[in-house]
Amino acid sequence: MNMRLLVLGLNILVVSILLVVYGILIGDNGLVGIALSTSIIGGVLVVYSTTPQDPSITALMSYSEILTNAIISTLEDLDLLESQICVIKRGNHVLLVYSKNPCPIEVDPGVGFTSGSPYLAIPLKTLIEFSESSSETTSTLLERALTTLLIEEYSACRSVRVEEEGGFYRVYISGLVEVLKQYLEKPIDPYTLLTLMAASIALTTRCVRLIDKRIMPDSILLIIGVERSAEKT
Amino acid sequence: MQKRLNLLITTYTLLTVISAISLYVLGEKRVDVYVSLNILAYYVSYATLRPTIINRAVRFLNIALFIVFTIIVSFRIYEVLTS
Repeated sequence: MNMRLLVLGLNILVVSILLVVYGILIGDNGLVGIALSTSIIGGVLVVYSTTPQDPSITALMSYSEILTNAIISTLEDLDLLESQICVIKRGNHVLLVYSKNPCPIEVDPGVGFTSGSPYLAIPLKTLIEFSESSSETTSTLLERALTTLLIEEYSACRSVRVEEEGGFYRVYISGLVEVLKQYLEKPIDPYTLLTLMAASIALTTRCVRLIDKRIMPDSILLIIGVERSAEKT
Repeated sequence: MQKRLNLLITTYTLLTVISAISLYVLGEKRVDVYVSLNILAYYVSYATLRPTIINRAVRFLNIALFIVFTIIVSFRIYEVLTS
């Protein structure tokens, strides 16, 4: 929130409303027009005062950097840098799991062992409420969920396209935001994480895993696989 | 990011001031002309200096301004057709 812009916008709004009233009283339509036009400027300033500001983004970036480095160190220690990434639904929890085994069944939040190999499971907060429509195909459902999350909520990209091909989903995300591009090569990549989470919710499946990730200059292609077996929560 | 937003606000304000003064000097009395030119100035500035970080409020503002602009234009077309 930019307080200076907010105060400026509100001041302009108040003055312009007074001018509108004055213009109506003296019957000068030109003045009313100018005052209304100015009130729109005030409104625009008030709205733009709510956009995130540079200092908060910088703070958030350094905070993310610290957390990402901590998780990368943990993954290095567990020898999981070349691991499979998946999102698993377990009861009320949604877990981001790094493991050598694709879609391990018995995982708890934190570090542990399953089927003889280590894993790192990070609990995720469910970021979208999703209404399912029976008439839509699964790829349309996923595309809608990703559009809501990545474009409408976070403005993290300009467009999202999903294609279903032989049980896999190809997710094309283009027009990536500059500040998030630096994470593309890292194990904790916001686009991958959010896509897997959205797929897990939209497709109501137990496990969604990343099969392949191709990074292009201004876009990213994620190929994800869905495991519909076992419990459906 | 902040620079672009500042530039957007400056450009938009400047365009609006120029258009409002010009219209007033020309003796324009129609209120909707001032408003529609203001909205047009906003969209021109927005399209040229597209801010990278926007939120839901900005999206609502864009939609609201577009609706107001559409209503004004529709009303003018209706007036022309019925006169």
